Amino acid sequence: MRVLIVEDEPRLAENIARSLRESAGYAVDVATDGQEGSFLAESNTYDVVLLDLMLPEMDGMQILTRIRQAGQHTPVLVLTARDEKESIVDLLNAGADDYLTKPFDLGELLARTKALIRRGKGQPSPVVTIGDLQLNTANRTVQRAGRTILLTAMEYRVLEYLAHRPGAVVSKTELLEHLYDYNWEKFSNVIEVYISGLRRKLDDGSDRQLIHTVRGQGYILKD
Amino acid sequence: MLRSKSIKGRLIATVVISQALLAAGLLFAGVFYTHRRLVAALDAGLQARAMSVAALVRYTEDASGNLYFDDSLVPRSLDPDHPDFFEVWAERSGLLTRSPNWPAGMEIPAGPDHHWNLTLGNVPYRVSRVSHVPVLDREEGQFFQPQALTIVYASPLIRVQEQTWAAGVFIAVASLILLGATVLLSLYGIRRGLLPLQRLAAQAALVSARNWELPMPAEAEQTTELRPLTDSMIAMLERLERSFVQQREFMGNAAHELKTPVAVLKSTLQSLLHRPRNSEEYRAGVQESLEDLERLERLLQWMLRLARAEQWAHGALRRDLELIDITATCEEAVERIRGLAQSRHTSIHLATNGKVLLRADPEDLQLVWLNLLENAVRYSPEGGVVEVAVTRKDGGPAQIIFQDHGIGIRPEDLPHVFERFYRGDPSRTRATGGFGLGLAIAKALVAAYGGTITAENAPTRGTRVTVELPLNGSN
Repeated sequence: MRVLIVEDEPRLAENIARSLRESAGYAVDVATDGQEGSFLAESNTYDVVLLDLMLPEMDGMQILTRIRQAGQHTPVLVLTARDEKESIVDLLNAGADDYLTKPFDLGELLARTKALIRRGKGQPSPVVTIGDLQLNTANRTVQRAGRTILLTAMEYRVLEYLAHRPGAVVSKTELLEHLYDYNWEKFSNVIEVYISGLRRKLDDGSDRQLIHTVRGQGYILKD
Repeated sequence: MLRSKSIKGRLIATVVISQALLAAGLLFAGVFYTHRRLVAALDAGLQARAMSVAALVRYTEDASGNLYFDDSLVPRSLDPDHPDFFEVWAERSGLLTRSPNWPAGMEIPAGPDHHWNLTLGNVPYRVSRVSHVPVLDREEGQFFQPQALTIVYASPLIRVQEQTWAAGVFIAVASLILLGATVLLSLYGIRRGLLPLQRLAAQAALVSARNWELPMPAEAEQTTELRPLTDSMIAMLERLERSFVQQREFMGNAAHELKTPVAVLKSTLQSLLHRPRNSEEYRAGVQESLEDLERLERLLQWMLRLARAEQWAHGALRRDLELIDITATCEEAVERIRGLAQSRHTSIHLATNGKVLLRADPEDLQLVWLNLLENAVRYSPEGGVVEVAVTRKDGGPAQIIFQDHGIGIRPEDLPHVFERFYRGDPSRTRATGGFGLGLAIAKALVAAYGGTITAENAPTRGTRVTVELPLNGSN
């Protein structure tokens, strides 16, 4: 999953980014002013955007309006220092999906971010089940037929993304887009390495393959 | 406990007391006058009776010219219980007759004819003496040396007293009825009169922190005596609302401004606790938290400074202030900011023209100069020059000008730069470390001394801030 944080207080942005990376394994991009934030949001596909309102150059409300006008469905969680009802109503009406007032709890921010990603992918439960595979996104554990499978951080990210789009073909490019932040060089053969690692661990001791390759298109996770 | 006093009570008391005094005066005057008139009437009656008694004096049938009193025709007394009494004297013959109930040993005062009072066995009498009354009886063909008669006639005063008493009672009762009517009328009148006040109070009770509107009841507005009250209420409400709104804005701004640094600190600590860390990571985290806290502390200090300055700006300047030299405070402020200026390779030129004296707290003025200087230095380009000029307009205010040659203020920001927490461009201020409070503090302090502060973009380049401080009473 890839997250965009638009927050002009660099300390706060860094803290949020670190905690998203460490505890959810998300790829995180940070923009410290409105213009950069707007540019990043429009030029990449994020799974969720965390948006501060008071920003230099362009305020959060404008960015939100632009994202929605461009037809993007990316869930947006607004971080605001204001807690007047009017401004919150305005925010939600402008297309925000959720909000948190500063100072917020990092744990809550994390939980809300995960929930927004789930809902954005039409996945109401934090536990995704595909056949005998169970993926718990809340505590990041994977089980197959009751057996716990230990994955590396990158393998888990690939599986989580695929699990959020069960039955759909996910291209290597899409995976790259959502697994790496802006600063990474993107090579598609890296994905093949993770996929083969995942297949080996998931299908070990089972006669049914879960990750299928669709030639020339990408991967699909299904029973 | 203080006894509450009622306007109504006082007005009623005033009315009652003045009415009662009036009634008492009327009663006294009425009784006095009635008594005088009745006594005068009685006196006339006494004289008439004396005359009719005199008419009963006759000459004897012989030619001696002696007189006798014919007591068969004595007029009947009006009051049989307390009969009249009289005596008749002749000029030469002496006492002619006296009524049988003539009190023994009664002295007739000497002097001309007059009336007097006397009490006889608890019964008051009015006595009249009439002299030089000729004898009316004349026989044809006879002529005697004429003799004048003197008649003393007395009648009881009881009737007069009774009538006077009746008149007194009548006046008293009438006064009491009038008094009662007046009290009722004035009660009604006062209640009507106080109605606008009650309406006003009812409207005023609706005023609250949410609703500062005080719709003036028409009655209150039309009442001349309430004018000063309604006017000052309206003015007071305006002042209250202004300062309340200002306070609320300040609270809102302050809360808003505090939220971000608190959020930073909180997130730093939470992410530190998020999972086990090594001691180097903890050290770095604690160090970061400390920096966050210091920033928070600085913000709080600035906010308190502003609150203090604004409080002064609203109230009169307290403290007995001493005459200080504005130029000297400027020189000191320039000295104090020189470190920052040097670190940015900026120089400060101070142009002064002798002492300018003002009654002020030097700390206040220095805080203003420091804030303005700091801004000027921060927004000056590397190696720039900040010019400060202290001048005194002829007989007018002191003028202190701060001019930098930096980027200037965006025109859309100009009207707002003195507002609390206003940052035209947040990223720029973040970079320079300000909170958007320095200019607000400067403005509040200058206002506390009755001065003005304005900012404008210099025609060439940079910003010019002008402070004017009135010197009246100081020099």
